[in-house]
Amino acid sequence: MSKVIEVKDLTKKYKELTAVDHLSFNLEEGEILGLLGPNGSGKSTTINCILSLLTMNEGEIKIFGKEMKPNAYDIKKDIGVIFQEVAVFEELTVYENIDYFCGLYINNKQERKEKVEKAIEFVGLSEFKKFYPKQLSGGLLRRLNIACGIAHEPKLIFLDEPTVAVDPQSRNNILEGIKALRDKGATILYTTHYMEEAEILCDRIIIMDKGKIIAQGTKNELKELAGIEEKVTLEVENLPQEKQEKLKKIPNIEEIKYEGNQLMISFQKGENNFTHLLEWLKQEKISYDGIYSEKPSLNDVFLQLTGKELRD
Amino acid sequence: MIHQFTYALKSLFRNKMLIFWTFAFPIIMAFFFNIAFSNIVEDEKLDVFPIAIVQNQEWNNDEIFQKSIETLGKENSEDRLFSLHYTANEQEAKKLLEDEEITGYLIVEKEEPKIVVKKSGIEETVFQNVIQEIEKQKNIVVDLITQKIEEQMKQGITTIDQEKIINEELQSVQEKGTYTAQKNENNHLDYTMIEYYTLIAMACLYGAILGMTAINNLLANMSTKGMRVSVAPVKRMKMIISSSLVALVAQLIGLVLLFAFTLLIIKVDYGEKIFPIILLAFVGALAGLSLGVFVGTVLKRKEDTKMGILIAVTMLGCFFSGMMGITMKYIIDTAVPIVNKINPASMITDGFYALYYYSGLERYWVNVISLIIFSIVLIALSTIALRRQKYDSI
Repeated sequence: MSKVIEVKDLTKKYKELTAVDHLSFNLEEGEILGLLGPNGSGKSTTINCILSLLTMNEGEIKIFGKEMKPNAYDIKKDIGVIFQEVAVFEELTVYENIDYFCGLYINNKQERKEKVEKAIEFVGLSEFKKFYPKQLSGGLLRRLNIACGIAHEPKLIFLDEPTVAVDPQSRNNILEGIKALRDKGATILYTTHYMEEAEILCDRIIIMDKGKIIAQGTKNELKELAGIEEKVTLEVENLPQEKQEKLKKIPNIEEIKYEGNQLMISFQKGENNFTHLLEWLKQEKISYDGIYSEKPSLNDVFLQLTGKELRD
Repeated sequence: MIHQFTYALKSLFRNKMLIFWTFAFPIIMAFFFNIAFSNIVEDEKLDVFPIAIVQNQEWNNDEIFQKSIETLGKENSEDRLFSLHYTANEQEAKKLLEDEEITGYLIVEKEEPKIVVKKSGIEETVFQNVIQEIEKQKNIVVDLITQKIEEQMKQGITTIDQEKIINEELQSVQEKGTYTAQKNENNHLDYTMIEYYTLIAMACLYGAILGMTAINNLLANMSTKGMRVSVAPVKRMKMIISSSLVALVAQLIGLVLLFAFTLLIIKVDYGEKIFPIILLAFVGALAGLSLGVFVGTVLKRKEDTKMGILIAVTMLGCFFSGMMGITMKYIIDTAVPIVNKINPASMITDGFYALYYYSGLERYWVNVISLIIFSIVLIALSTIALRRQKYDSI
């Protein structure tokens, strides 16, 4: 696989604030790389620097092996960008909007027509071709936004939080669409602050905070960093303090939290953790209404690395 | 480029807000002006009005000034504008003014004519303008007379009739219409025309909204659409030129509609100098476009805010150039003349005024050239900002 994007030591400052701090990473051909981090962590700034929209204080950026510059038209022709904010003309119909933006890349009218039709079908807007943006729901509008960025069939696609303020059904459609784009051969750089999206979608994830990379790898590699194997939650009424202290003595227990009727237990790596817990509950004659187990999330990784929730 | 041009045009003509401000609003205003002025014109036909002349030594020595004023005060003349009262000193003139027997008085002091009026109004403005024009042209007349006398002396003529020469040259200058305000078909000075001129100025300057919107859609630091365009493999200057062209075309269509409405429906008489009228409207449209491009490029605010600023600036400019009454133009011209010197609305209004009321084109060209300079300066400043392709912040 070849490197589609190479970012070395990228630094961007806004006066005193360092928005991106010596960031280095590569994006390999055919992969979906997620930039995951809370709002203000520097994800969008990174994309805008890569796209040569923003000046950078330090660093080097290569796309398709060539230095990225504002007038690097040979690079730009193979790039598609979907910005966080919907960027369409209110006065143009769905078809016209896609045709307009596609026309910035493709001059041939017939070729463009085919690509526009394909894009419309791909995002599921065939029934809405003649609709104006204000006639579309939030989810459909997002889909139009995506179609405008991908109609020219770019090799490299930047998606900057494309699912913000989108209903769950539309979000699923969008995520499926992004996977389909990758399956068709596109390389994707995807920014989000939704850890679930990054988990579902991305082959590799870079977790950012305050402009720095705090961890990167596949989702499994990242979860290793959380230092816990699984989390078990039970609904228990009145668990006395002495029982809680006893519970902590079960092997591999990392931490327990008891809030309301919710007892949350984090286990370190180890064998038969769940069985040990069930046996202890039986032995102590503690009754519980529900019990469920979950693997650590990227939020746990973020919590482990920064001491704060990703959602904060 | 045709692709961008077509879509930019389509997008613009479907934008109801832009269509209202640039096309509909000036026509609506023209309609209301017509209703409002149809009575005013009848009521405010400019009749001969009384002025006083202080007959001091300087007045008596200034033969050219005397002749000019006397021509405009001659009884039974079609060009009569003033009813003249002569006073021996300024106190008498002051008394007449206080008693409201005259509109104002003229006194020549230190070789400078000074007019004194009690209030602001149409008659006072006319008085002021006419005296200014006479003063401007006096030097030309003096030069012509000197030339003529020298010629006669060269020819060996020893008995030179100075008064005859003065009369001839004055008449020649007056025939060229360089300072006497011409009377229109209705045989009175129609000052409501100023309102229509300011309306055209307003329509020209509202083109700024089109220019601003076009630029806003192209710059990454101004809009997300601009970001999308900026990451596409198209040359930015090509996009800017095609979008500006669209704005200019739309603006000219708006002006054609306004002219058609005012000429054909409400029968406004713009005079017969068609080519200079078209040129002035075109240059005015260019100035409006440049203003929009400048605001669109330099001012980092929301599009709606910029639109509000442009509308406010245009309205204020038109107000200063006489849209709500010619008195304001007079006040600004006398109190803070620099304002209307750099006010494009005033340049356009004054250009039309000069075309309509003067047969000479000198004043017209001053305004046309001023508008061109105004446009060049703004486009130059915008180009400096437009050359930036990367931004410190978005």
